[in-house]
Amino acid sequence: MAYRSSFLLQIFANFLINTAEVLALFAMFYQFDSMGGWTLGEVALLHGMSMIAFSLGDMLTIGMDYVAPQIRSGEFDRVLTRPLSSWMNAVTSEINLRHLGQLIQGFLVLTFAFTQVNIDWSVTKVLMLIGAILTGVALFMALFTVEAIFSFWTVNGVEAINAFTYGGSDLAQFPMHVFGRTLRVLFIWIIPVAFVTYYPALYLLDKPDPLGMPGWFVLLGPVITAVFCGVVAWGWNQGIRHYRSTGS
Amino acid sequence: MTMISVRDLRKTFPIKKHAGGFVGSLASLFRSEYEGEFEAVKGISFNIERGEMVGYIGPNGAGKSTTIKMLTGILVPTSGEATVAGMVPWETRKQLALKIGVVFGQRTQLWWDLALIESLELLKYMYRVPDDRFQHNLNTATELLGLEEFLRTPVRQLSLGQRMRGDLTAALLHDPEILYLDEPTIGLDIVAKAAIRDFLSELNRARQTTVLLTTHDLDDIEQLCPRIMVIDHGDVMYDGGLSDLKQRWGGRRQLIVDFASEPDVAISELTNGNLEVISIDGPRATIAFDRDSLSAPEVLSRAGAYGDIRDMSLQEPDIEDVIKRMYAGKIPAGV
Ligand SMILES: Nc1ncnc2c1ncn2[C@@H]1O[C@H](COP(=O)(O)OP(=O)(O)OP(=O)(O)O)[C@@H](O)[C@H]1O
Ligand SMILES: [Mg+2]
Repeated sequence: MAYRSSFLLQIFANFLINTAEVLALFAMFYQFDSMGGWTLGEVALLHGMSMIAFSLGDMLTIGMDYVAPQIRSGEFDRVLTRPLSSWMNAVTSEINLRHLGQLIQGFLVLTFAFTQVNIDWSVTKVLMLIGAILTGVALFMALFTVEAIFSFWTVNGVEAINAFTYGGSDLAQFPMHVFGRTLRVLFIWIIPVAFVTYYPALYLLDKPDPLGMPGWFVLLGPVITAVFCGVVAWGWNQGIRHYRSTGS
Repeated sequence: MTMISVRDLRKTFPIKKHAGGFVGSLASLFRSEYEGEFEAVKGISFNIERGEMVGYIGPNGAGKSTTIKMLTGILVPTSGEATVAGMVPWETRKQLALKIGVVFGQRTQLWWDLALIESLELLKYMYRVPDDRFQHNLNTATELLGLEEFLRTPVRQLSLGQRMRGDLTAALLHDPEILYLDEPTIGLDIVAKAAIRDFLSELNRARQTTVLLTTHDLDDIEQLCPRIMVIDHGDVMYDGGLSDLKQRWGGRRQLIVDFASEPDVAISELTNGNLEVISIDGPRATIAFDRDSLSAPEVLSRAGAYGDIRDMSLQEPDIEDVIKRMYAGKIPAGV
């Protein structure tokens, strides 16, 4: 029982933390009417999609948080003697649902967005929304894996990799065209978070791309994400081969 | 049938220059700053046949655990080859896991927060152990290792001996063909040690399970392993029968001589190629000698030159003495 209430408390705390983020969004639109030509409702759509994808990706790879300490203590040995792929095994070694708070918030924000913007719904648009979120989940899972991969080589400095994961999810909450060129190239072509929210949102809202990409460009999202995941999988295997265990 | 085959297996660990700070550690990802290499296992070779129980012994830091980690697929060797149950361990880790069982005495393979029985059930699911095999193996272990009293206790609360019995049961749930045991009796009391040894002999007899065991307890070896391999500084120094080892290198018997009073200190001059005065403790001198080149009366008469002998006793060689001398480098390598 104590366990259950502390669990609910954790979810609630997580919910509150993310509330601050949503409030910041409202505060911003209190000052300005639009952001890069986008209304509050439209930006909220980006926020909602990003929060849902990020929290799901985070929850599914919570085990990755434990890889670094397990490598350091040598407990990672255990992961390598089981009849599961090492990644699956590492991911399932811990389960933690505290990010449910963020997930719930994501759904609330998305619902709010739908009341604010006029979407001309069709089957392909529903599929686009679901596909975008699934792509996002895969992408964030890969990003959380990247953090763990680095810990096969170095014990410190892994937190720096966090910047890409959290930065990516933050970036995905705003219209991509407000950012500078370097960030855009990075988050379209290398870590394709632009395909998690921005391009799908353009499609849902029937907006042309201010950056001039054709309509089919959004379909590249899963492809680039698959390439990214492939590179991460390769990196993970290199990490495993590099694993040294400990002397005792 | 050869279960484990090892050829020129080598493992070196890099000794890294410590690059401090974040930039240093990031830089070391791309540029290696090796100060050198430490060779933990230096190109060893051996074969182990199905059903063998092999004792793998050597002093601390000899390379035993490192070898076992390569043979389970945890570590990728620097060079050399190995096949275990027909597979290259570090390349087919997943499939190999179904054929091997591993117990690291130092570290549990179970889940800290789960009750022992829950851990076992989780493993049953993970290894897809059929219900009847699971029941059978659990019953055998319960009977021989006395698991009953702590099956429902969380693993974190188990005593060392209980946990080890749990770990052993866990490693054998899926009927592995090969069992690796890295110091399975470390820190256990005599009763627990005996239970584990009996269990292992029974397992080997009933299922022909191949066992590779490291230990610092030579009683484990005497009771379980007809064959031993001795490794030191990464080299296999001896690979053969335990009885052979005793005969060839354990030829030292010990003569304990009690003099009427302290013997002449010059008695230590007796030490030569096939005789060694190990200790002089008051009126008592302990002399070890080669059983092949000297007889007890002969040694006794030599000792008699240094004092008045009152009493004596003769001790047959024991494995401990052999191993001690081997570790100390008094037995040539490459036997
Ligand atoms: N992960 C590691 N990184 C660096 N050096 C290591 C590592 N693991 C082992 N070594 C070194 O390799 C050597 C062999 O270690 P290993 O653990 O195989 O010895 P061992 O024979 O099992 O000894 P013990 O009887 O103490 O368990 C030791 O000198 C140890 O310091
Ligand atoms: Mg060891």
